[in-house]
This record gives sequence, structure tokens and C-alpha cells, in this order.
Amino acid sequence: MREHGFFSRKNRWTWVSVVALIALTAASILIGFGLLPSAQADFRTQGLWDSICRAAGLPSKWYESNDNKAPVISTNVVLLPAMAKQASSASVGRGATLALNCTMCHGAQGMSRSDAPNLAGQYPEVISKQLYDYKNGNRANPIMVALSKGLTDENIADLAAYYASLPKARTAPTTYDESLPALVRVGDPIRNIAPCISCHGGVDQKLGAPWLEGMPKQYLVQQLLAFKEGNRRNDAQQQMRNVARPMTAEEIDAVATFYARKAAVAEH
Amino acid sequence: MYRAKKLVLAHFWVAFIAFFAAILLGEWQMYVRSPLSPWVNNPEHYYRSVTAHGTVMGYVLPTLVAMGFGYAISELSLKQPLKGLRWAWVGFWLVIAGTLMAAITTALGKSSVLYTFYPPMIASSFYYLGVVLVVVGSWIWVALMSVNLYSWKKSNPGATVPLAMYGNVAGAYLWAWTSVGAAVEILTLILPASLGFTDTINAGLARVFFSWTLHAIVYFWLMPAYIAFYTLFPRAIGGRLYSDTMGRVAFALFLVFSMPIGIHHLFADPQVGAGFKFVHAAMTAMVSIPTLLTVFTIVASAEVVGRLRGGKGPFGWVKALPWDNPMMLAVTFAFIMLGFGGAGGIINMSYQLNESIHNTQWVTGHFHLIFAGAIVIMYFMVAYELWPQLRNSGPLSAKLVRAQLWLWFIGMMILTMPWHLVGLYGAPRRMAYYDYTHPALEPQAITVTISTFGGLLLVISAAMFLYILATAKRQALPVPEFIFSKAVHPGTKPPAVLNSLGLWVGMMIALTVVNYGYPIVQLALTPGASVPIVPVGER
Repeated sequence: MREHGFFSRKNRWTWVSVVALIALTAASILIGFGLLPSAQADFRTQGLWDSICRAAGLPSKWYESNDNKAPVISTNVVLLPAMAKQASSASVGRGATLALNCTMCHGAQGMSRSDAPNLAGQYPEVISKQLYDYKNGNRANPIMVALSKGLTDENIADLAAYYASLPKARTAPTTYDESLPALVRVGDPIRNIAPCISCHGGVDQKLGAPWLEGMPKQYLVQQLLAFKEGNRRNDAQQQMRNVARPMTAEEIDAVATFYARKAAVAEH
Repeated sequence: MYRAKKLVLAHFWVAFIAFFAAILLGEWQMYVRSPLSPWVNNPEHYYRSVTAHGTVMGYVLPTLVAMGFGYAISELSLKQPLKGLRWAWVGFWLVIAGTLMAAITTALGKSSVLYTFYPPMIASSFYYLGVVLVVVGSWIWVALMSVNLYSWKKSNPGATVPLAMYGNVAGAYLWAWTSVGAAVEILTLILPASLGFTDTINAGLARVFFSWTLHAIVYFWLMPAYIAFYTLFPRAIGGRLYSDTMGRVAFALFLVFSMPIGIHHLFADPQVGAGFKFVHAAMTAMVSIPTLLTVFTIVASAEVVGRLRGGKGPFGWVKALPWDNPMMLAVTFAFIMLGFGGAGGIINMSYQLNESIHNTQWVTGHFHLIFAGAIVIMYFMVAYELWPQLRNSGPLSAKLVRAQLWLWFIGMMILTMPWHLVGLYGAPRRMAYYDYTHPALEPQAITVTISTFGGLLLVISAAMFLYILATAKRQALPVPEFIFSKAVHPGTKPPAVLNSLGLWVGMMIALTVVNYGYPIVQLALTPGASVPIVPVGER
């Protein structure tokens, strides 16, 4: 054996370590990318190279679909934090003019006197998302679909900005204690019902989740039933459909009553 | 010790006081989730608490202990004053500043991301900047350990690096490379989103970067404990280390294999290919080798002591061991917990077996057994061993120390064993409450109650630990010189590669490139991989 160089006796520790590591790595790569995928029927259907690519995590089509049905789209709106940014006063002004169209149902100051939702102080991204969903046919309502058809992107942003700028019916935070209905406060984990306050304000306010305090009770009941029965499907991750599906009629009533308890204007 | 006394003491005090605060939070979490307490009204408080508990226990405590112990090792083993003392203080204050920044942000509810940086959940920038400061502070320590070793080598050409310093610097290099993953994730993906420059994030890529740090960080936590096994335990029980070379092999193997295995945390992640998951699982299995080598060497060292004390036969030597010695107890407890935890870990790292326990309480039980059990009990011993040096105090009360160790061991077993069981039942981890009135969950209620009482014992033990340290009496006489364990054959020269770390660091980096290179590049180049961020606690 040579006295100098990588494989020399002097360097025995070094080359034994390096060769052993290379052998170990090569063996585990061969098993992980060759042997194991080839033992799986769905990995090897399109040949060896394809199975290696799949094992490496390359996105690929796992099967050829023959039906050409268009996928069901629940919403085309991607919620981004930018949609919640405060708008310019010019935008609010234009929105105020456009909103004259809405006053019949949603009230002069965004506080509804009918069972239409209050819009005063609603989060801007909520207004935008719902208007887009009506416009694109992802949420059904004869009046709203017709009204939203003519709105441009700018119109929608302006309306959202205007309603977000109006004072809410009730701004003081609720104290969250045992007096609240259980579903609002803690949900029902075993039935996969998340607590309302983890998205609609209280614990956290998630992007796209509307402000519910003071909404007309009838509106809340209707929407929960629509989610429950699958008639409303514009919740992108099915979050509301999953929550509403296991809820009983009594629970829906209790939750709606709680959120509507400050709906002073709507109650006659 | 020469110059670093105050420095080491500062690191230890901050680490252990933060540790005590975090353990109170941990016990509160156990209590509110158990059937002993009504459901926590605001689950956000629970997640805030988990974030604080995890941040302190996972980042602050081990980093400060490793740093403090590292400075002490540098002076005590190299027998030279610490170089760069001023820089060391800068590092310390950076860690403190970072900790406070992260803690305040968490307390305000702006960063309840559960201390694992898994986007698209995004916390306040101050939380991440705080963590970055902690890491940067620890990088100063890494550099100083390297500088001190280098200067010692220069003035002692050809001499064998003391084993304690060898392990210490191995731990430092391991940490330097390990922390790069989370650092890249924070700087290139999370902070731009958190600061509002971008609204979307490549969550899959971020998770892969975090896994780079997530598993190897465990071995950074573990290094001080292993250094204590090799260089404190044999001397403390009146013996010698069975093999100095074996210690070096173990440290070197940790360096090579602890890094490129983190994808076993992502077995359920669809963005990583099954082939890489297998390779990482195989490499994870390799980490058991330095641990088994260590168990063998340390048990062999103990056997030598047992036989010298008159123990006979295959088990007689065990009886003859000095069982009233706190170090004997601590290492025994550590090995028992390491054994159970390691066995559970082999299930975690197996691609298929992991399916049954992924994200359940089993995992929580596993890492508490290994880290809070085997490793933290050795942190206690490190502090007890160094305390007379640092405080110029007499020996600490062995009786109190033994009671504290027993409580910690029993508490940890009572805490973690029911956790494993309830994990097998399928209880998910990181939930603020469970509905034990439901027939499906009713059998789990008792296990969680038992765990709560285990946690209570841990709180008492931790309080005793602080009490023992705080009440150590200063003495006028100088304390005897600190010595590390001598090897059975002290003069033996290890092979040259085991007297330096270059080869092992090279292998560590090469293996990382092989195991992480492709997944990272592929995920970074995948179009449409970014998803909208979910800011936490914004409104």
C-alpha cells in the first residue's frame, strides 16, 4: 500500500469513513428510489424513469382521467392580506355613491332594516369576495347576482372600502366566558365543529371571515342552513359547510340568536 | 476557572429561571386540558402558552446551557483563559434581547404559531427577529469555541484535544450548520411575508427548510448531556472512562448523521417524494449507532467501577455501584428514559409505523422523554458539577440533589408514559381541549389526569433544583480544581481524524447537499407552489 494519498495506510480512518458513507448513501438511494418504488404497482405503471421521478417528489399525473367534466369551483377569489388594507378616501367616496344602489335592503348607513345583512364596518375583503362570488355565479341570490353583474373590479374595491369605513353597530369586544353558547366559545371538537370565535373574532379574526355581531337572525339562520344543505358553496375550503353540516336546527338557532342579540335596528 | 465564571453563571441563571417559568406554563397546559379543569374559555391562551413553553424549552434553555457549559469546558479543559470574553458577553446579551422580544410578542398574542415555523401561519416579525437574535448570539459562541480550540492547538502543536472540548466544538459546528435551515427559512421566506412585502409563501419549501433545523437541533440539545456522560460521569463515580476514542467516534458520528435526516418529520407532507423520505429514515436509523456506542462505553466504565468495588458475576457489579452518588442516579435515569424514548423514536422514524402516531400525543411523549427527561436531567448534573467552581461553594447537599433527581425521573415517567398510550389511542397533539364526556374519548380521561400529576412532580423538582443552586453556601477556602474523567488508558493517541473535526464537518455538509439539495431546488422551482399567508393575531 502506498504511504501517501487518500488510500494510504496513514489515511485509513479517512478513506474507510468516506467510502462507508458513500456506500451507505448509495445503498439507501438505490433502495429508496429503485427497489421500493418498483415494488409498488402505482409507482411503476409508467416505467422505471417515471417511478424514480415520483420517488423524488416531482409533481406528476398519477392517472389519466377520461371524463372531461369541468371541476367544481366553489370560488374564484383568492383571499390575500392586501385585500384587507385600508383604502384611499377617494375610493371610499366613490363607494358611497355606488352604495346608493344598496340602501333599499342594506340600510342607508349599512345597517339593514330588513333581514339583509348589515354591511357597516364589514371587513373589506369580505365584501369584495361575496360580490365577486355573486358576479361569477358562485353564490346564488336573484337580486345580488343581477346587481353585481355590472360591477367592475374598481367598483367592487370602492364598495368594500366604503362599507369598511362605516361605524359598526357594536364595537366593544365581547367578554368570552361561560355565558356564551358552547358552540360559539369552544365548538364541538368530536363533531368537528370549530368554535365561531376562532375565525369570526374573539380568539382570532381570519381573513375573509365576516363580522357577525348584530347580523339579523333570520339571515344567519338562512345562511347556516344553506351551508348545511350544500346550497351555498362559496367557502373555498368547505370550512362553513363542514361546520354547519353536523349542526342541529336548535344549535343553528342558538348560535344565530347569540350573534343577532345586538341587532337593535333590525328588531321591530 | 479563569475569566469566564461570571459569564457561565449568567448563562445558567437566565437559562434556569426561564426554564422554571416555562415549566409552570407546561403544567398549566396539562391541567387545563385534563378533565380536572373545565375547558379553557379562550383557546388562544393555550396556544400562546404552548408557544412560550416551546420557545423557552426548545431554543432558549438548551442554547444558554450549551453556551455556558461550552465556555466552562473551554477554560477547564484547555486550561487557558477564554479568548474573546467581550464577544461572549455580546452573544449573551443578544440571546437575552432576542428572548425578551419573542416573549413579549408571544405574551401579546401576536405570535401563537406554536414555536414551529410552519407557514402559511405567520406571526409578528418581532417574534422571528427575536429568534434570529438568539441564533445570532449563539453563532458568536460557535465562533469563539472554534477560535479557542484553534489558539490552543497553535500553542500545543501535536497534542490531543481534550475529549470534552472535542465534543463541545463538535456540538458548536453541528449547531452552526443546523441553524442555517431555519435561518434561511426566516430570512428568505417568512420575514418578507411577515413584513408585508409579499402576500404568499412557498409553504412546502419552508417546511423542508424547517425540518433541516428541526431534527438536528435535538442533537445540539443532546451534546452537553453526552459530554457529561463521557467526561463527568466516570470521574464522579470514582472511575475512569472505558474508551476515549469511542467518545470521539460518537461525537463525529453525531456530526455526520444528525443533520441530513429531518425529512422524517415530514412523512405526512405530500410535497416531499417518498424516495427522500426513505433515505432520511435510513439515515435517522444511523443516529442510533453513536447512542448505542455511548451506552456501551458508559456502562462499561461503570462496570469497571463496580468490579473494582468488589462486585462479582454478571450482575453483582451493578449492586456494587455507588448508588448514593447523584451522578450515578442521574445517568441511570437518563439511560432508562433514553431507552424508552429511543425505542419510541424508532417508531417515529419508520415511514410506515409513523402513520399510526403522526401528530399524536405519542410524539409529545417521545420528545419529552428524550429531551426533558434524559437530556435535562444531565443539564441539572452539569450545573451541580460546575456550581462549586462558579460560586466557590462547598459540595451541594447530596440528599437534596438525589431527591430532586428522583422526583424528576418519576415525574417524567408519569407524565410521558400515559402520553404515549393516549397517542396510540389517537389523541391529537396541540389541542386546547378534549371532550372527555364523549364515549369515544372517555377512556383517555384517566391518562391525561395521570400526566397532570406527573407534571406537578416536575414543577416541584424544578423548584428544588433552583433552591439547591440558590442556597449553595460560598466558602472562604478555594475549591478543589475541576477535573474531567481520565480514560482507562490515558496516554493513548487517537487517530488524527479523531483529533480534528474537518473530515466530519465535510461529510456533514456533503450528506446535507445529497439529502436536501434536490428537494429544496425542486420545490423552489415548482410553479404555483406559493399559498396565501395566514397572519396570526393581526385583528
